[in-house]
Amino acid sequence: MAQAQQQERTLVLSEKGVAEEGTDTDEVVISISAGFNEMKDETLAGVKLAEILREMMAGIEEEGLTARVVRFTDNLDLGVIGLRGAKLSGSGISIGIQTRGTTLIHQEDLVPLSNLELFPQAPLIDLETYRAIGKNAALYAKGETPEPVPVANDPMARPKYQALAALWHIKEMGYKDEDKDPMEMEVSFE
Amino acid sequence: MCMTDDDKPVADGSGELEETAPKRSKRFEALDERAVTEDGFVNEWPEVGFVAMESPNDPDPSITVEDGKIVEMDGKDREEFDFIDRFIADYAINVDKAEEAMATDSEQVARDLVDINVPREDIVELTTAMTPAKLSAVVNHLDTAEIIMAMKKMRTRQTPGNQCHVTSVEDNVAQIAADAAEAALRGFYEIENTVGVARMAPLTALAQQIGAQCGRGGVITQCAVEEATELELGMRGMTGYAETVSVYGTEDVFKDGDDTPWSKAFLASGYASRGLKMRYTSGAGSELNMGQAEGKSMLYLESRCILVTKGCGVQGLQNGGISCIAIPTSVPAGVKEVAAENLITMMADLEVASGNDQTFTHSDKRRTARMMPQFLAGTDFIFSGYSAVPNYDNMFAGSTFDSYDFDEYNIMQRDLQVEGGTKPVDEDTVLEYRERAAKAVQSVFEELGFPPISDEEVEAAVYANGSKDMPERSTAEDIKAAEEMMEEGLNGAEIVKILADNGFEEIAENLLGILKGRVAGDYIQTSGIFQGDGDFDVVSAVNDPNDYQGPGTGHRLEGEDWEEKKQVRFAVDPEDI
Repeated sequence: MAQAQQQERTLVLSEKGVAEEGTDTDEVVISISAGFNEMKDETLAGVKLAEILREMMAGIEEEGLTARVVRFTDNLDLGVIGLRGAKLSGSGISIGIQTRGTTLIHQEDLVPLSNLELFPQAPLIDLETYRAIGKNAALYAKGETPEPVPVANDPMARPKYQALAALWHIKEMGYKDEDKDPMEMEVSFE
Repeated sequence: MCMTDDDKPVADGSGELEETAPKRSKRFEALDERAVTEDGFVNEWPEVGFVAMESPNDPDPSITVEDGKIVEMDGKDREEFDFIDRFIADYAINVDKAEEAMATDSEQVARDLVDINVPREDIVELTTAMTPAKLSAVVNHLDTAEIIMAMKKMRTRQTPGNQCHVTSVEDNVAQIAADAAEAALRGFYEIENTVGVARMAPLTALAQQIGAQCGRGGVITQCAVEEATELELGMRGMTGYAETVSVYGTEDVFKDGDDTPWSKAFLASGYASRGLKMRYTSGAGSELNMGQAEGKSMLYLESRCILVTKGCGVQGLQNGGISCIAIPTSVPAGVKEVAAENLITMMADLEVASGNDQTFTHSDKRRTARMMPQFLAGTDFIFSGYSAVPNYDNMFAGSTFDSYDFDEYNIMQRDLQVEGGTKPVDEDTVLEYRERAAKAVQSVFEELGFPPISDEEVEAAVYANGSKDMPERSTAEDIKAAEEMMEEGLNGAEIVKILADNGFEEIAENLLGILKGRVAGDYIQTSGIFQGDGDFDVVSAVNDPNDYQGPGTGHRLEGEDWEEKKQVRFAVDPEDI
């Protein structure tokens, strides 16, 4: 029943201006990809992006930190947008997420492909996990070493979703604009 | 209930609402329940490269050589070359032979590939002087049975082999050590690990190395993680080879990874300078996965990857779809294409670890059919990742064959009298080796002051099928130890000493053998492996070249190896009745 109510929520993202480097050590940046909520409002597995963003932000906030959402339009690579988000984040920690749902936690002094935690199998990440990802990102931001969020593993995710994920990615490339700066996003749920 | 034209409900006499759903065939309903309907299939979309072979956008083969330099290739002048074209033209193609090779009719070369009267070395002379478009054009003439025949002749090392994955969803070190020992016993020449949490890699690599050297001295191990970490683990002797150095068929994908063919070559030289075996990884679908396939076919782009590898001077390549396998297999002729890319790798005179790696289907029949070309022909590594653990523990997100298939895979080798690179083992021996491996890791952890591995964990690891049978262990604590291990510069020689001091002399000897192998450097020759009997004799394309030329030649499964393969642990012995 609770789920039925949640499905009514829609996510509205509007640009506030070019994202600046943060100074507040109590913030975590959530890097979103070019087509996030534009191309689709749900992941490959049909989880609503509104719910995902709300859960991640709640996870961050329950540790007493604040979330900033930044959209990267010039690059679709998750490792890259995650790392660049971390560099904009006052705490040096970010969460990166693509439209299809693939997510990671990144830190500013790492390299793109070496992150703190990676959740590569997008269709397996449930809302509870997205909240835990938010919480862990906040804990890293506080300088703690949390137990990593358990990684789900389903050998049948690739057979079912990989070709579809490639199609989505190709479609999402239509939202790419190489000359556009990362934008600070205003988030509201209606 | 029916409606009349003026929307007034009238009785239809049945007293029930009429079902509006169309009546369905029970046959089709039953077919809808089959596993294969869960797989992703996509119709071809050549404009973006969603096509396995022969895209209308693939270039026609061509070459112009002036003063020993390639000035035009596959329809592009040198000024128009992207960095991949330039790298291939300058480093991958034997210019002396290029004009002759390119002038030879593609269909004739294809016929020579399956002609037992034409020796491998004659073909390699030409195929190492061909452009990517030419290599694809040649292989496009073959059907799947012909690709199998060609692979049988063209692979570089005569003795086929196999590689496996040993991973744990919990990154549990005792379990990994025990599974690596068992995998080595089962006959794999190479064992590959990766992690759930990146920072665990030093510990899982260490556990895997100890386990492998417990199982059979000379089985080499790798840990697939971020490239700099992977190299460092190798340099320290925690691993014995590397494989996950990726190359791509379009410039954009290279650039997205902040890489060029030159930077990959530099990384490769890092391994070579330390005497470490390494191969590259590519495979159909990776460019498309990034949306950067430029409308070219998967096979043409893969031909470029193969020649980038060749140009880097790297001895071998892992391909055949690999981590993007469900992309080629979603389109027509995708499974044929992955066999074709294995073949082109062999034609470039490189070692091939031929895929049959990550999962691509829910169907047991499709996954078995997919591996038949490599299995029947034999390749350097038929699987470049047979999961030696249950797929739920496979951190490459599952392999097409896993530990549940051990008996079936052995029996397929027995049925067809084919060397598939694994062998039957008995339960008592497996338990004995698993225990020794887990205890060795327990001792090493204790000596190093790492989070203790309890006797309960050792016991669980000995008897475990997978991580679900293991007690809880703190990953956060292990990560601290892993960080400490990297900071303090722990290396393989120190592990050898600890093992020897704690009653594990044989494992210590074997690990020392691996470290010495790097000094000798013989196993970095093309298709090099250690025999795996503790003597550290190298078998490679140099001392075991493939001389297949039809019946009576090449590798045959016979003698002791065949006798061993005949064993089925639940077979009936006529003498018992």
